[in-house]
Formats: sequence, C-alpha cells, structure tokens
Amino acid sequence: MIENRPWLNALTHLVLIAGVAIVVLPVYLAFVASTHPDGAFVSGVMPLLPGTEFAANYGEMFRSGMANAGTPPLTLMLGNALVMAVVITVGKIAISITSAFAIIYFRFPGRVVFFWMIFITLMLPVEVRILPTFKVVADLGLLNSYAGLTLPLIASATATFLFRQFFMTLPDELTEAARVDGAGPLRFFRDILLPLSRTNIAALSVILFIYGWVQYLWPLLVTTDPRYYTIVMGIKRMVAVSDADPQWNLVMAAVMLAMLPPVVVVVVMQRLFVKGLVETEK
Amino acid sequence: MATIDIAGVRKTYPGGVEVIRGIDLAIGEGELVVLVGPSGCGKSTLLRMIAGLERISAGTIAIGGRVVNDLEPADRDIAMVFQNYALYPHMTVRGNLEYGLKNRGTPRAEIDARVQEAARILEIDPFLDRKPRQLSGGQRQRVAMGRAIVRKPKVFLFDEPLSNLDAKLRAHMRVEIRRLQRALGTTLVYVTHDQLEAMTLADKLVVMNGGAIEQQGAPLDLYADPQTLFVAGFMGSPGMNLIDADRLRAAGTVLPDAIPAGTGVIGIRPEDIRLEHGQLEQGVDPALSLPARVEAVEIVGAESLVYAATGTAGVIVLRQPGFWPGRADTPVTLHLPLARLHCFGKESGRKLRLS
Repeated sequence: MIENRPWLNALTHLVLIAGVAIVVLPVYLAFVASTHPDGAFVSGVMPLLPGTEFAANYGEMFRSGMANAGTPPLTLMLGNALVMAVVITVGKIAISITSAFAIIYFRFPGRVVFFWMIFITLMLPVEVRILPTFKVVADLGLLNSYAGLTLPLIASATATFLFRQFFMTLPDELTEAARVDGAGPLRFFRDILLPLSRTNIAALSVILFIYGWVQYLWPLLVTTDPRYYTIVMGIKRMVAVSDADPQWNLVMAAVMLAMLPPVVVVVVMQRLFVKGLVETEK
Repeated sequence: MATIDIAGVRKTYPGGVEVIRGIDLAIGEGELVVLVGPSGCGKSTLLRMIAGLERISAGTIAIGGRVVNDLEPADRDIAMVFQNYALYPHMTVRGNLEYGLKNRGTPRAEIDARVQEAARILEIDPFLDRKPRQLSGGQRQRVAMGRAIVRKPKVFLFDEPLSNLDAKLRAHMRVEIRRLQRALGTTLVYVTHDQLEAMTLADKLVVMNGGAIEQQGAPLDLYADPQTLFVAGFMGSPGMNLIDADRLRAAGTVLPDAIPAGTGVIGIRPEDIRLEHGQLEQGVDPALSLPARVEAVEIVGAESLVYAATGTAGVIVLRQPGFWPGRADTPVTLHLPLARLHCFGKESGRKLRLS
C-alpha cells in the first residue's frame, strides 16, 4: 500500500511497536535477571533494570558452570552445540542435495519408490520415532558421542524435497546443453547445479543451523556424560537441581548466551537467506 | 564439415506412440538444411536424435560416415543452439563459451584464441565478462551461437533459435546466420515452424508432417511445385488458396478438360489470380472464372491482400501490387489461369499432373 496518511503511519507503528514489545519483553527480563545477584529474581519484586552482577555471573558460567547442577562450563556446552548444529547442517545439505540430484537426474529402478520413502519420513518427526531411534543408537554404542548426537538428525526429507523442487524448475535444456558440452553427471553437478543452488543452500543452512542448535529432546536422551551436554539441554539440567533453588541469575546468563549464535547466524546470512527464499536465479 | 546420413530412422515412445515414422534424408557437406513443419510434426525430435539427446528406436544416423546411434552427444562432434538458449546463468559470457572446450581439455591458449575469435565474429566482445541475465535477448542469442562456434564442430544443430526474438531482430539474425554458415562452411541443420525463415535460409528445405517427410528440395521448387496438399497449404504466406473441386462441380461450374478427373482440391497461389472489375481482358485464357464480392482489403505497404468471397469456392485471397483501390462489397471476377493451377487427388492429397 502506497498511501500517505500520517495517522495511519502512526497506527501501524503503534501496532508494530506493541508486537515487538510483546516479543522482546521476556528476553529483556531474562537479560535483567542475568545481571542481578543470586536470589534477587525470586525475592518477590521483580527488578526491571539491569543490576550490577553482569561480569560476575557471566564470568562464573564461563569459568566453572553451575557446579551444584553438575553442568560443565558454558564454553564446552556452547562448543558441543556448535559442533552438533554445524554437523547437522552440513550433513543434511550434503545428503539431501545428492539424493535430490539422484532422484531428478537419473532413471534407476525403484526411483519413485525411493522418492516416496524419503517423502513419507516427512510425516515422522524425530519425536514420533524417538524410541526406535534411541534403541538403534544405543545398540550401535553411540550414546554419549557426537555421532549419536548428530547422525539420527541428519537424514532430511524436507531438504531433499526442497532441492528436488528447485531442480525441477531448472530447464531441461540446461542439462542438455551441458551434455553437449561434454559434462558428465558429476561435472554437471559440480559446475552447474551446485553454483545454481547457492542461495538455496544458504537459506537452508540458516534454518538447519538453528534447528540443530535448539535440539533439546534428543540430546537430553542420548547424553548422560556432561562432556557431551549441549547448551539448550544443559539449561534444563541447570534448573533441575536437588535440595536448592535454581540459581536463576546464572541460568538466565546461560539463556542469553544460548541465544547469541543463532542471532549472529541470522544477521550475517540475512541477505542471502531472503534471496534464497524469494528468488531463484535462472 | 561433414555429411549426415539418416536412414530409416524411427522413434517410438514407450507406450507405442510413434513420432518419427521412417525418415530417410541425406545432408551434404556444408549444406544448410531446414526442417520445417507444424508443431508436433517431429522436426525437433529428429534434430534431437541427430544431437543424441533422444534415443533412436530404429534406423541409423551417420555423421561424416560414422554411425553415431550409440554415441553420447559430446562424442558426436556437434554443437547445438537451443530455443531458450540454455546459457549457464551463473557463468559469465566467457565462461559459457569456454565451458565445452574446458571439458574437452583444450589448452588454455587455444581456448582464449577461439573465444576471442568467436566473440569478434559475433560482435560480443564487450559483454564477455557479463552474466547472461545482463544481456538482451539478441545478445543472449549471439552468445548461444558463440558457444556453438567455439567448439568448431562438424555439424551445427539449431532448434528454433530465433523464435524468442522480435520480428525485426529475427530478420536481422536470419541474415547473420546465413552469412556465418557460409563463412564457416559448417553443415547446419535448422529447425523452425516459420516457413518464411525456412524459405529464406535453406539450401535444402524439408517439410515434415506427422513424423514423416512430405517433400524435400530447394525452397523455390517446393513453393512452385508442391507435391502434396499439405506442402501447398503450408508454404507461403498467405498460403495457397485451396478450392474444393466437388463443390465447384456441384454448383454447376464447368471445369476445364485439362483438370484430371480424380481432382479433389484445386489450389492456386494468391499472386497467380487475375482480378477484373468487369469483363475478361482480351487474349487471356483462364481455366476458371469465378464471380466474387470483395469482403476485405488488407494493405501491407508494398502490396494489398484482397479477400474475395465466392459463392462456391469460399473466401479466396489475392495478392495485388501496391495500393489496391477497391472497397468492400465491390463485385469482381477472379480469373484463374490454367497453367497456375495445382490439382490434388481426392483421397491421396498428392499432386496430379494437368493433362
């Protein structure tokens, strides 16, 4: 809408500001809580301005973690989460782009069956198949390992489907021109398909990184050794302390730090991300 | 430079649909052959079979004496220009031109020399470092041709390369392609549905219909002496007037004796009809004279197209030089000279000789 009416402008801004406030307020409160001394947050009056313990709280989380909750220092958990998110992102993209390539560009027996097998797994999220998956991972001896954290989450119908749809929009003549130009399947994949999928890959990376980063239930199940705790599930462990109140100021410091990497990824990749979602370079 | 020999070629799709029904065609070295026909006649399929993009169900195709039935497109030494150009969107113009040579392991110096040469011939040097989407349609078309030229193949295959251009540019590129093909001397097979393009480009014109060749030969021979009803109607714009002989007979028109008995359709080109306002001129010997009434006049600059409605022969188009002064509803007489009539058999649709 291209209209120039001041009161309408003011109104739209008001609505937007209200929306932002609703979303931002809890985050702000979490930040405020992370800068106060222990107990200030549960003393009855919730402070609304940042306190003085910022350095102390964050410093303690980085140095020792919450000793009484049995969680390791934040750096280790952040590192684990990073490993998990990156491996899942790279693995998912690598597997799904090659499967989509196979399904679209090769005629092999059972092609349609394989496609539908992949497609059907779309309807089964991790939570639904969590028991059999856990059993398999446990039998393979992958509990408490990076492989156990990442492998079951790598197979991705969504990403395969997305690349399949993208490949289907590429004109057949492009493939034929490459054939006439003497490019075999692998060369075609490397020289033509990969560069053309660049924006799709970027957009997908952002989504998958965040997906990997916020994994909660699965890491909670397969890791009992604190060395493999990831940040998001670590927060859960911090809250579940016995014989004491949770140290909310420290928990909130962890929460703030857990949010940072996805924010950074989104901000850095935003331009490519939007490009990948709205336009295809053909 | 190479000959192409197509012998008994058929294409059957799974499910038994036969789109190419046995084609024999010999293409000489350095010849420019145009395959023309309506959509669905199999011309593109035939071209793609020569290219190796479609499997050949039966028969053989040989390029330069070597049977290529089972060779990959890259091994046939052909280069193709696609209707939508199929340029690699993420590569620069230079990248597009180089790609085929790089894949063949051509030395760097040779690649650069060939790209320079092709760019010079096609006048695309200023755009070498641009991406295809930054180019106009005509420039993209040149790049697509450049990609074919740099390869120095034995055969060029062009699949409706001009159909995405506007009329003026199309006419210009037609001349360019002709000049280029002459200069390079490379055999070229060109597919189009545009009979004007076909007429002006071809050394040899091949008219296809329903997966088979209707007639092949020099463009003017096909125009002047179409062997089938289909070719007669397809070639020329506006096309040949086709008159139902039975309707004429039924209306009591006496046909000249020279017209064979089995004639179902009588054809005549718009430019071969004489038009009189009144009585017949002295000394003219028309086979048929038809009373008519002018229905519409289209003035196309150098000539006028007159649409005349006859009671018995439907609407007949005539071509008149310059500006034709008549108006709609003028009564006129159409004179059809015997020597200009084309008679086609009732069932076969094949040409019958005047006796």
